[in-house]
Amino acid sequence: MNRPATTTGMRDIDIARTKLTGALAETWTTPSGFWGALATVDHKIIGRRYIFTAFVFLALGGVLAALMRIQLAQPEARLLGPDRYNQIFTMHGANMMFLFAVPVMEAVAVYLVPLMVGTRNIAFPRLNAFSYWIYLAGGMLLWTAFALDMGPDVGWFAYVPLSGPQYGAGKRADIWAQMITFTELSALAVAVELVVTIFKQRAPGMTLDRIPVFVWAMLVTSFLVIMAMPAIMIASTSLILDRLVGTHFYNPAEGGDVLLWQHLFWFFGHPEVYIIFLPAAGMVSTMIEPFARRPAFGYLGLVMALIATGILSFGLWVHHMFVAGLPRLGDSFFTASSMAIAIPAGIQIFCWIATLWDGRPVFKTPLLFIIGFIVTFVIGGLTGVMVASVPFDTQVHDTYFVVAHFHYVLIGGAVFPLLGTIHYWFPKLTGRMMSETLGRWSFWLIFIGFNATFFPMHILGLEGMPRRIYTYQPDLPWHGLNLFISLSAVILIAGFLLFFVNVIRSARSGEVAPDNPWDAPTLEWATTSPPPSYNFAMIPVVGSLHPLWSERDTLPVADGLRTDRRELIVTTLATAEPQARDASPQNSIWPLWAAIATTIMLIWSIFSPWAVVWGSIPVAVALIGWFWPKGTPEDES
Amino acid sequence: MAGVLLALATALAGCQREERQLRLDPPIADALDKIALMPNRISGAPPDVYFVLGKPYEVNAYNLSQGKRLYAWFGCKSCHGDGQGGSGPGFLDGWWYYGPEMVSIFASIRDGRPHGMPAFGDRMTTDQIWQLAGYVQTIGSYEGKTAAPSRNDEKQTRPAENRAPAKLLFDEGPSPVHPDQGPTP
Repeated sequence: MNRPATTTGMRDIDIARTKLTGALAETWTTPSGFWGALATVDHKIIGRRYIFTAFVFLALGGVLAALMRIQLAQPEARLLGPDRYNQIFTMHGANMMFLFAVPVMEAVAVYLVPLMVGTRNIAFPRLNAFSYWIYLAGGMLLWTAFALDMGPDVGWFAYVPLSGPQYGAGKRADIWAQMITFTELSALAVAVELVVTIFKQRAPGMTLDRIPVFVWAMLVTSFLVIMAMPAIMIASTSLILDRLVGTHFYNPAEGGDVLLWQHLFWFFGHPEVYIIFLPAAGMVSTMIEPFARRPAFGYLGLVMALIATGILSFGLWVHHMFVAGLPRLGDSFFTASSMAIAIPAGIQIFCWIATLWDGRPVFKTPLLFIIGFIVTFVIGGLTGVMVASVPFDTQVHDTYFVVAHFHYVLIGGAVFPLLGTIHYWFPKLTGRMMSETLGRWSFWLIFIGFNATFFPMHILGLEGMPRRIYTYQPDLPWHGLNLFISLSAVILIAGFLLFFVNVIRSARSGEVAPDNPWDAPTLEWATTSPPPSYNFAMIPVVGSLHPLWSERDTLPVADGLRTDRRELIVTTLATAEPQARDASPQNSIWPLWAAIATTIMLIWSIFSPWAVVWGSIPVAVALIGWFWPKGTPEDES
Repeated sequence: MAGVLLALATALAGCQREERQLRLDPPIADALDKIALMPNRISGAPPDVYFVLGKPYEVNAYNLSQGKRLYAWFGCKSCHGDGQGGSGPGFLDGWWYYGPEMVSIFASIRDGRPHGMPAFGDRMTTDQIWQLAGYVQTIGSYEGKTAAPSRNDEKQTRPAENRAPAKLLFDEGPSPVHPDQGPTP
């Protein structure tokens, strides 16, 4: 970026290093105080909020799971009635999928991706602030409704006709459908930001083959979000229309189609599984390097596997509908495609094993979670191949076998890597290390507790115990295993409690972390822990896939950016050559107002179709305020 | 402060509207059966417990939707149609032979009426009769209730109950709505 200064304004080359950080801090820092906190567009602050909120929802969902396990510990238990139980299993599923798993992956990306690609803020930072407020509002809508006995009770996938106007009494199913709208809106916003950040804001020199695998994973995930989420938004909107206005999308008597719901839902719902799993796979590929003390084996294979999984994930949604009745060819096609997706997953597993095999592994807590992930995810993958076969699936459909399978792939495939991620990137989030002792204890408790809780569910399912039942009779042969599962769940809960204790204690009084405590190779470790508001005093220039390993002592940097306004480097898509200095937006309160106006409109529209008309006026006002022209040039090439 | 109160009021209303009482306590069911009718068996007063419970059969979404299922299950359609009447009177036209009060409708279902309305008192439980009465009243209501059920998964013959079909029929307006058509949203 050694271009002559074309415009006035202070550049970073003009001033000394000490003055430089001061000037950058003045330009980028979020002002303290209440309004400063509400108006911030700093991706690190928003990312931390996102992660924190998602973990609150994880804890709440865990409480629901505990209630279900107490209820099922013995036959004919009286803790929960059927109506409350229906709400609780629906809330558990919807909360874990829509308010925890997807948002937490995007939250980690909101925090880490700009640091890993070496830029100063995420693209569209105000949209980022908006997406957080919308996510928070959607979560509060669901939980407030649940507290008021209005929680959805139709299962997390809300099949019609059960959720339709005839059988879904009251507003419970509408609450579910509108919560979907909130979370999809926020997910789509983050996906767009991530794609642009990854394509256009990478540090100079970070060509496509020098992008960290986690960033690749988030790129693929973001495209999955952009292509999968519209299907569910159409589905949930047409469901609300059916219920409120009396349209006939899902009414076969008037030419609608009940199966349309299942297709729309699973066309989103299956990629959703990979929206959760791919970031986790990326986290593993990135975390494994410092602990194996060598570069991840098969970078090209890992990235290609991510892309292949992303593409294949759109071709197998029908395997959720095998018992709905399909033509023979449909059965065969979707069985084959379901089994085919095991190939890219297998490639990744073998790459990770090869990395550990050839490396000199250091068994710290994050690596323990990675190994726990590999073990549990392989078991979940094997039962996945089993249920991909139509005759077997017909047998175990809607039994605890399926419950066991998807908890193995979701907790094994996503939560284990996520917990490893928190231990690994905690110093970058807070500036302090997490306790290694507590970390090991929580890993072993979670690993043993998880397997003891969920493995017996396979057997229960084969013995015929259906999902979603609130109790069972004493003469059925299930009570021994159910009691064992509930007791094992205590171990699992103890592990999670210990994890939370570790997080809170370490955030307050953990050991102060150096910039790069793990001697890791990626760019986020090139700045301080936690990073300053401007991330990097000088934008790094990348010469390899592992910049902090290949250039250990002096990382080359780019200069020429202005310090008196928020500026970052825009680079070309493939080769990351500098193109322009682009302005990055200032803090703004308008995203919050826009989110509040959108929230009012969306919740009101559950009750009256006129909400869309009158509610859009405040939304329009907020958007006009948001986009009001500032009269300053946006970028300089 | 006002906002908190408003939120609280909405919250309480929400609780009551969505609660699902799957089985009544027998003493409450007995008490609900003791309505006080006028000598001509038209109009009167529901028992006190009805008000203590908060008029659950008029404002509770679950009760209203159960009423709609009972309407189909007990063959009400064979005489009253979808509410537009048949061999029995309709509910959409604004005319109630025995008055629009809940007690009158309850008494009509429980004890029957002259000219062909049979008594259902020995075929339905007390709370089922209340649920059905609440639903029948909702069909003829001039205001769309948020708690009212929506359309069924069958051929549409009139706007759904939550769209206040009776109001549309009664209110001729500049462009009257034919019962076969839905209202514009």
